[in-house]
Amino acid sequence: MDLKTGLVGSGSTESRELDLVIAGGGPAALAAALYAARYDIDHIVLESYQPGGQAALTAVIENYPGIKTITGGDIVTAMKEQAESWGAVFEMASVLSAEPLKDGIQIKADSSTYMARNLIIATGAAPAKLGVPGEDKFYGRGVSYCATCDAPFFRDARVLVVGGGDSAVKEALHLSDFVSELVIVHRRDKFRAEPYLAHKLLSCGNCNVMWNTTLKEIKGDESVEGVILNTPEGEKEMKFDGIFMYVGRKPATEPFANLVELNDNGTVRTHNIVHTSRENVFAAGDVTDNDLRQIVTAVSDGARAASAVFDKLQ
Amino acid sequence: MAILSDSDAAEVTKIFGALVRDVHVKVYTQKLECPTCTDTETILRELDGLSERLKVSFLNPQTDSEEASRDGVERVPALIVTDATHCRVKFYGTPSGYEFSSLLTTIIDTGGSEEPLTEGTIQFLSDLDTDILMQVFVTPTCPHCPGAAVLASRMARYSSRVRSEVIEANEFPELSRKFRVQGVPRTIVNGIFYVEGSISETMMTDALKKGLEDAPSEETNLLDYLRNEGG
Repeated sequence: MDLKTGLVGSGSTESRELDLVIAGGGPAALAAALYAARYDIDHIVLESYQPGGQAALTAVIENYPGIKTITGGDIVTAMKEQAESWGAVFEMASVLSAEPLKDGIQIKADSSTYMARNLIIATGAAPAKLGVPGEDKFYGRGVSYCATCDAPFFRDARVLVVGGGDSAVKEALHLSDFVSELVIVHRRDKFRAEPYLAHKLLSCGNCNVMWNTTLKEIKGDESVEGVILNTPEGEKEMKFDGIFMYVGRKPATEPFANLVELNDNGTVRTHNIVHTSRENVFAAGDVTDNDLRQIVTAVSDGARAASAVFDKLQ
Repeated sequence: MAILSDSDAAEVTKIFGALVRDVHVKVYTQKLECPTCTDTETILRELDGLSERLKVSFLNPQTDSEEASRDGVERVPALIVTDATHCRVKFYGTPSGYEFSSLLTTIIDTGGSEEPLTEGTIQFLSDLDTDILMQVFVTPTCPHCPGAAVLASRMARYSSRVRSEVIEANEFPELSRKFRVQGVPRTIVNGIFYVEGSISETMMTDALKKGLEDAPSEETNLLDYLRNEGG
């Protein structure tokens, strides 16, 4: 039996000055925390209420070098424990705003305020919404963005997965162990996911793929009962008990909009990988405009950002 | 066979080193019609030996019916975590996966030296003039569930106006169906309004204030309510 021993953190009402605030709780933030602690930088990690970020929600990770297979939850727990063992300090709080000061940045979290000489933005991204009718209404009533959390509710049910990238295919494979029938709809004629994952899905016994198809509407009374799809043959109505959405990510950059330049898609504009438009603000992981969004690149960004802060403080 | 591995036991022993007061865990299980009671009992028996500060007692809701009734135990397996002065913090279901993390955190909150709630939440709880039941539906594979489970447990530990029940949704499908739970974590408040997801203390207290003030008669998602009405 799997038992998770990581403790849930707590908030704070602190207000103080320090050298570095790391905003975020996923792999980029955890790597930055580990390096910051080892560099002996006076820091705090403002971990959100969804610790581990998106990585924690991944059922299986098979492409992190040196680890053959591990769950997303276990890899982020191990990263956090390692960072804490070196003295990394965590507070459970979301950043509400970050404003530039003459000598640093004022960061307001839920109940605490920090004046930091440097900031690493590693707040990651949240699942993007498709924006179709019924999506909000049935969230938690059959519409889900987390197969790892919610798959058991759809045992022996008919489920639709929307998307065609790594997350969609990986989570569809996880769901296929629970459901009676799974349909995955993708707007293109082939998956963007890694070929290994795509082949695995195409040979899955209870999975069907509908290419060049988009979700138009989710229907139901009290919970999801079916959908209307736009298919190459026209609109098609199908019955489903659950819909899992993997249609991209929305970077969590709102609190930093007045602080650093953002791209049109909301990501932090970076140069030299982790540097932003402000010399004392760095960005790491999925919140940046770097092209590859993987755990391995996020931890690399986190380490680079902490190293850049260390160099600056010398 | 042991459920806690040697490394789990060593880690938990280290965590329990933070206990400065006794913590009592009452475990309600029964042999019949409870497929998960044996595992729950085994886990708690193994935890029992890891700290002198942890006092675990094992009860049966049939043979200890008066105590079960006093404690408000409605189903099994049930755990009550307390400093022996109340029975407000309950867990229904096997404490496996991420629920183990919620249980450990609640034990440390109960017997540790630090108050985990922030001043704003303490003020909110001190001003409460009505009773609240927070039922948090979770699954053992949900990494975001401990945040919601622990927040409700912390509020119930602090205030005699609040009771918390952390419910493993798969083990109690009839209850999940009653509240139409198809996603976790979901916190149902007083059986009427609910909060989806793991949210901050500030958002939770705002949501609870709004819910208690407006007292919706129908099932209401308070986060939508706050968004739509500008809080």
